[in-house]
Amino acid sequence: MPKDNPVDPRGPRFSAWMTTVVLAIVLLTGWWRLLAAQTVLFAMCAFISLRLNPWGHVYRYAIQPRLTPTTEREEAAPLRFAQGVGFVFALIGTLGYATGLTTLGMVATGFALVAALLNATLGLCLGCEVYLLLRRHVPALARPQ
Amino acid sequence: MTGAWALLGAVAVAGAIGVLLKLREGRISHRAQPSADLPAPVRDLLAPGVTLVQLSTTFCAPCRHAKVVLRDLADRVDGLTHAELDVTNLPEVASRLGVMRTPTTLALTADGTEVLRVGGVPKRDSLLEALRPHLR
Repeated sequence: MPKDNPVDPRGPRFSAWMTTVVLAIVLLTGWWRLLAAQTVLFAMCAFISLRLNPWGHVYRYAIQPRLTPTTEREEAAPLRFAQGVGFVFALIGTLGYATGLTTLGMVATGFALVAALLNATLGLCLGCEVYLLLRRHVPALARPQ
Repeated sequence: MTGAWALLGAVAVAGAIGVLLKLREGRISHRAQPSADLPAPVRDLLAPGVTLVQLSTTFCAPCRHAKVVLRDLADRVDGLTHAELDVTNLPEVASRLGVMRTPTTLALTADGTEVLRVGGVPKRDSLLEALRPHLR
């Protein structure tokens, strides 16, 4: 799996806002194809490369040039782990909506939205909060890197 | 319509979690743990004086902020050492220490007695204040 370079931390925050908007639209409309597309996006970022994230490109070309440059960089590993968490919830949500289990779809999408919103507003790393708990209960959890 | 309620619910939950975690961030708890049960990877890091053992994971962005704060503090204060332990693949160490989230920082004396611990990114001034009685 290719290793990503550290990134400008404001890029992932912008991306988290966009993800929040997408997930909010899914909840409001129940449009599961949009959630399926978001699931694929999560998977590409988590398992292939963060560079495949279209919001990252929007950030680099449209937003970053307007901001004061920063030398601050964030490691890619935590970001990819977070995308992996998003992938799991979005996948469950898509399956829920697509098979008529709308409540399951909504709950899973809601969880993904909570995580994305916390990341967007507070820069909170949900992975840091839950990784050790997950590890305790799911000992076989593989490192996504 | 149900979707709108679900959205509202999710926003409310995010707000509640956010407030809770902000309140807990950097909070210092005193527990004066005896040293008998200290896992070997932690014991190996102990230095003379007080050692700040920071538990981190690979996935943890705030761990890097905590590292900057603690390293800077250790550089300025005599008898204070900073050491980082990556517990990504040592979950048993974290659970023996009762650590659920990263970064968590333990302040340990040379004989391994825990004087306090901090969850999240420590606040420099209040941490120094709390460590003062244990520093010579």
